[in-house]
Amino acid sequence: MSSIRVRGVRKSFGDLEVLRGVDVDVNPGEVLCIVGPSGSGKSTLLRCINLLVTPDEGEVYLDSVALTDPRIRPEWVRQQIGMVFQQFNLFTHLTVKKNVMLALRHVKHIPRANAERIAVEQLTRVGLADKLNAYPAQLSGGQQQRVAIARALAMDPKAILFDEPTSALDPESIHEVLAVMTRLGHEGMTMAVVTHEMGFAKEVADRVVFFDAGRVVEEGSPEEIFERAGHERTQAFMKKILR
Amino acid sequence: MTGGPALPPTLSALAPQQPRRSVVKRFFPWRIWSRIIYGAAGVIGGILFLLELGYLKVYRLSFALGALHSLIQGFYLSLEVVAVILPIGFGLGFLIGWARTTRFVILRGFGSVYVDFFRSMPPIALIFFFALITGVELRTSNINPYTKEQITMWMGVVALAFHTGAYQAEIVRAGILSVPSGQTDAADALGISRLTSMFLVVLPQAFRLSLPALGNEFSSSIKDTSLLNVIGWAELGGISLALASNSITYAHYLQGSLVVWIEAAFLYFVVTYIATRLVRGIEDLYKVPGLEVAR
Repeated sequence: MSSIRVRGVRKSFGDLEVLRGVDVDVNPGEVLCIVGPSGSGKSTLLRCINLLVTPDEGEVYLDSVALTDPRIRPEWVRQQIGMVFQQFNLFTHLTVKKNVMLALRHVKHIPRANAERIAVEQLTRVGLADKLNAYPAQLSGGQQQRVAIARALAMDPKAILFDEPTSALDPESIHEVLAVMTRLGHEGMTMAVVTHEMGFAKEVADRVVFFDAGRVVEEGSPEEIFERAGHERTQAFMKKILR
Repeated sequence: MTGGPALPPTLSALAPQQPRRSVVKRFFPWRIWSRIIYGAAGVIGGILFLLELGYLKVYRLSFALGALHSLIQGFYLSLEVVAVILPIGFGLGFLIGWARTTRFVILRGFGSVYVDFFRSMPPIALIFFFALITGVELRTSNINPYTKEQITMWMGVVALAFHTGAYQAEIVRAGILSVPSGQTDAADALGISRLTSMFLVVLPQAFRLSLPALGNEFSSSIKDTSLLNVIGWAELGGISLALASNSITYAHYLQGSLVVWIEAAFLYFVVTYIATRLVRGIEDLYKVPGLEVAR
């Protein structure tokens, strides 16, 4: 089990200051939910953690390793930290099984037979053992997102980042994806989840961070954030989404 | 509609109708129609051709057959030239199209200059340009005249390859850019290196997306070989020109020329049709759900 620490991360795109000094911790085996309005920099924060976006300032640590150290290869970082996207981003031209096998074969250089075994194992874990040879376009959104989770899990990551994993799904699919994520959380995977699913956050999250305008406004247990928010901005947001 | 509540009569008019196949489509599916159209075109073409032969009088049939025989010799040479142009053109197009999408300013700049230059030159000017420069450069060398001539003529072929390469570069570039950025994001997030993700994620998709446009460009570059006679190639175009202008000694000039050009057109049609069918075949072979190009 691994921890992620984000210290004083700043990021601007041109004149737009997206992250204005962010400190966030994800403790070992913890599920951290990040909530906040759109455009507040939640996705950019996740992308800074696995260096899909390079922070302008500040440090990111995985356990005791400073990922922002220029001597560290971004490819290495991304092997350690899995990521699941809002739009699934499965490789369109590959079957489900080959989607999971690609990085095993060409990043970890695992022989084909072993990679195949791992792929089948992980796809069975997310309940898709019968879809091994289907193409992504033949699957529902929820099935695609479960494949994406299996693809991340297959790399045996120390932590997984979820970037609004259910925002592009219909209610039924949301349920099946959240079920997989809930099980992962209970199994002790370190997870950082950007989400608007308050039900999931309440049930699974160990801590919730409220994020606005590139800053952490407030953090605490799910009850603290959802029901007894101390900050005015948090209260206003919660009032709107919880109704 | 499955199991939904019945809509009130006013709304049911707005509900999606069962798609109804038209009577024409039911009895004559498009597959059969296309064959009928092709067949009709063939028959009409044949009748016109025979009429022209009639003008030539039947004893001139030997002229038409003799012309076809010579044209087929040129046809083989054309195929040879095409077999050189297509691989070089595709290789260049692939490399330069790729170069134009990289982060490296020098590569991008080189690619832009290449495409801008070769795309804005008429192919006939390029053929002269390449052949003449080679001829001038080789003027003082002491290799034997036959080899000199061969090199000069093949440089004209290379000119056409460079020309189609510029067009194919744009097709490849468009294909690469049309692969959604989410695909490379996902590859990056798995720790896959840029080069590996290019070859295993981006290019296989870009290739499928560019195939129809590539087929188009192949057929157009096949026909551009008919310009090579300007530097002395006796390929299909060259032989047609020679036969047509000589036909006055065998037959009435206009009809004789017409027969020659109809035969040449038929041979160009054959090779272009085969090439486009091959590309269509490759398209079907690598078809993947979710990556089809609309037909």
